[in-house]
Amino acid sequence: MIHEGILRYRGSRYLWWALTLIAASSLLYATQSGNHPPSGGSWQGYVLGSIGALLIVWLTLLGVRKRNYRARAGSVQGWTSAHVFLGLALAVVATLHSASRFGWNVHTFAYVLMCAVILSGLFGVYTYLAYPRQVALNSDGRARSALFAELYELDNKGRELALVCDPSVNVAVKSSIERTTIGGGVYQQLFGIDRSWFLRADAAGTGSALVSNVDQQVVIDFVAERVSRAAKRGEPARLQALITVLCRRQAVLRRTRRDIRLSAWLRLWLYIHVPLTFALIAALVVHILTSFMYW
Amino acid sequence: MDVLLRHLKQGPDGVPEYHDTNFSAGALSIGSAADCGIQLLGETIAAEHALIRLTGGKITISCRGRRRVIVNSVPIATAELKVGDRIDVGGHQLRLLAPPAGFDIAIEIQPNPDVDPSAFERAFRTDLHETWLSKRKASWVLAALILVGALLLPLAMIGWHRAGNATPPGVPDDTWWSAGPLSPAHQLAAGQRCDGCHQSLFVHVTDKACRSCHKPIIDHVSRERLAKTALGAAQRCAECHREHNENAARLVIRDNDLCTGCHARSDTRFGPLKVTAVAGFARSEHPAFTVDLLKPMANTASVADTQWETRRENIASAREQSNLKYSHAQHLDPSRVRRASDSSGLGCGDCHTLSADGEHFVPITMQRSCIACHELTFDPAAPKRQLPHGKPRDAMLLIQDYYARQAVDPHPLVSAIERRRLPDRQTEESIAPCTGPAFSCAMQRAQAEIDNQFTRRGCVSCHVVVDTHGGDVLERYQVTPIRLTADYFPDVHFSHRSHAVQKDKTGDAACLSCHAARAADSSAAVLIPDLPKCLECHSGRSQRDLVRLQCISCHAYHPKPIIAANREARRE
Repeated sequence: MIHEGILRYRGSRYLWWALTLIAASSLLYATQSGNHPPSGGSWQGYVLGSIGALLIVWLTLLGVRKRNYRARAGSVQGWTSAHVFLGLALAVVATLHSASRFGWNVHTFAYVLMCAVILSGLFGVYTYLAYPRQVALNSDGRARSALFAELYELDNKGRELALVCDPSVNVAVKSSIERTTIGGGVYQQLFGIDRSWFLRADAAGTGSALVSNVDQQVVIDFVAERVSRAAKRGEPARLQALITVLCRRQAVLRRTRRDIRLSAWLRLWLYIHVPLTFALIAALVVHILTSFMYW
Repeated sequence: MDVLLRHLKQGPDGVPEYHDTNFSAGALSIGSAADCGIQLLGETIAAEHALIRLTGGKITISCRGRRRVIVNSVPIATAELKVGDRIDVGGHQLRLLAPPAGFDIAIEIQPNPDVDPSAFERAFRTDLHETWLSKRKASWVLAALILVGALLLPLAMIGWHRAGNATPPGVPDDTWWSAGPLSPAHQLAAGQRCDGCHQSLFVHVTDKACRSCHKPIIDHVSRERLAKTALGAAQRCAECHREHNENAARLVIRDNDLCTGCHARSDTRFGPLKVTAVAGFARSEHPAFTVDLLKPMANTASVADTQWETRRENIASAREQSNLKYSHAQHLDPSRVRRASDSSGLGCGDCHTLSADGEHFVPITMQRSCIACHELTFDPAAPKRQLPHGKPRDAMLLIQDYYARQAVDPHPLVSAIERRRLPDRQTEESIAPCTGPAFSCAMQRAQAEIDNQFTRRGCVSCHVVVDTHGGDVLERYQVTPIRLTADYFPDVHFSHRSHAVQKDKTGDAACLSCHAARAADSSAAVLIPDLPKCLECHSGRSQRDLVRLQCISCHAYHPKPIIAANREARRE
């Protein structure tokens, strides 16, 4: 699969690049000796810092490369593979640059931001490896729009079937369709929260009340219960047909919600990774400027 | 309000079909959501797109947010509707009909046949980008917060500080830029004011900033002398003294490289400056020690005006010229000298007292070190009469006064004790009995005692006395002044205190392990040990059973003012 491909791209070519970079940086770090302890202020420290800063800029450029479909400088897959491995190597380069000297200051702040970016990126790699397969299994390879088109047809069919049923069934089914929630806010999408309702006529038949309809099961049970009580001729068959539609609808909704949930997790890390990256670039600018303002 | 909705559909045979539904609600919503009164699908249609209301007999349509509908070919946000108006919502056609009896509004709906049912998805928020989460907005906000909080505000605070104000509580200032903790002393002095040292932005900390507090610090090498070498320009203070280290001890470089980096190749890199090469602390790396000795200058006009100079000599060939007659060997021999108080042998501490600095010794003086044993009596008959020390002329006058009094005293101190002075009997016997006037006899007797003091015993025992053979008795003898060297190694530091206890020695044994005083029978002997003595216990490298010494264990990088002055004097 393409997502596994980013790690094994051309025989993990960029893994070896990253390992080479780490080894070279470690050797450079080890040459710091003499009168001063290792630090970001020695010439080796400046070289490591420059490598780190250039890496950060280059890693950020992946976002530009991804949008530029006409670019010929390597495939997006190659870029992504390099992005992952060199991004991980950045953690080592920056740690060597810092010489593990941390404090409550803008410099360590930039380092912490960088670690947060790398960790969110790692989470991204994990989702790219784990989620696409689940997404494909869930939707049988169909696009989400197909699920919604099916849902729309089932909604209309359900409405039409309900129209010729008992008014309480009609109200229940119509309201269950109207009050079906899919997706929603961040929390609802990430955890597949279902806040569907429907209007259920009470036993006396004098009024109706809003009832939770999680997973559409309650409205199916409500209609099913009417089958045994159906007095009119032909009504059990209509109700049976309605139940079939409602159950198909339930299945489509389940798949749709799961699809939304998986997609949300697949994309969530980018909502952390990208803003943190720009925060990191700002912190990097502050780090470099202040280092030279007070050097 | 009661609404009649007439759905217009293309029938199977091409004939349009109507399907009416009625609807009763406070307002009629239009959008792609399933709970909308008129559910319309399409890419441009929001879940809740527009709302039709009936207020006071007027029908109005209003769009949500930035959404628009086209009423009679005009895109609008809100509009009043009348019967016959056509509303275009994402390609779907709505037409206001004259409401039949019992209805407030009647709308004919002709769906857009091109819309795919999958557009139904737009009725729901199914992607994170449709929520409040925003990569772009969050990126801008975070980046701006960081630039303002960590860069601009601290920059503004620099000016605020320079105007004499303290950082208001909670406001980030330039201390946020600190690369690490200051050493405690600098933290105490600079506090929260970075600009005390970082006086200009983008400029290294200058020596001027350092010297504003560290005024007495003297350069290791003067700039003029450095210019003669091939060592390049002088380094800034901060190039060696790196601040903002987590380990405050790192503020001072202790590694030998600092010294040997230049001094190991002094023969090639120091140009015309003659400095012995030093590569470490071993026989092959470090030169033999030289001592600074005080020497009387040869060309002084008179003995009393003797001028002294400091001369640096190799220990092996160095000789003291203090003008003191003294034998350490004699004084440390219990068979020859015993302490007055308990008759035991003398120890080092009987004369030498360590100064508070633990390095030098309280100067040896007659009063402090000698008088306990060496009283300055001159007539055994008068044991309480003592000569004044350091004032030869006063001493001579006192002797004359004493014998003048003896001559006229009706009860002179004729002492049988004088007979004890066997070694001098000859001398005394040689004084012929005086038959002249009492004063002449007294002066004659005094003259004899003065000669005795300055040529045979008394003053001359310790002092070098020059006999000028002058006529005036008071001017005849000149006592050469004594000056003892107080610091043999003014350039280096050494702790006698830490050496007072050695691996198996304490007390005098510890002193004598380095200073060969028992063998020194003359004050000319220099009792300072040379390099090999140090190497018995020390090494320049980490070595088992030896204590490691670094260059700065003995040498200071920045010379003390007195050392710098001495160096200049020597060069002149």
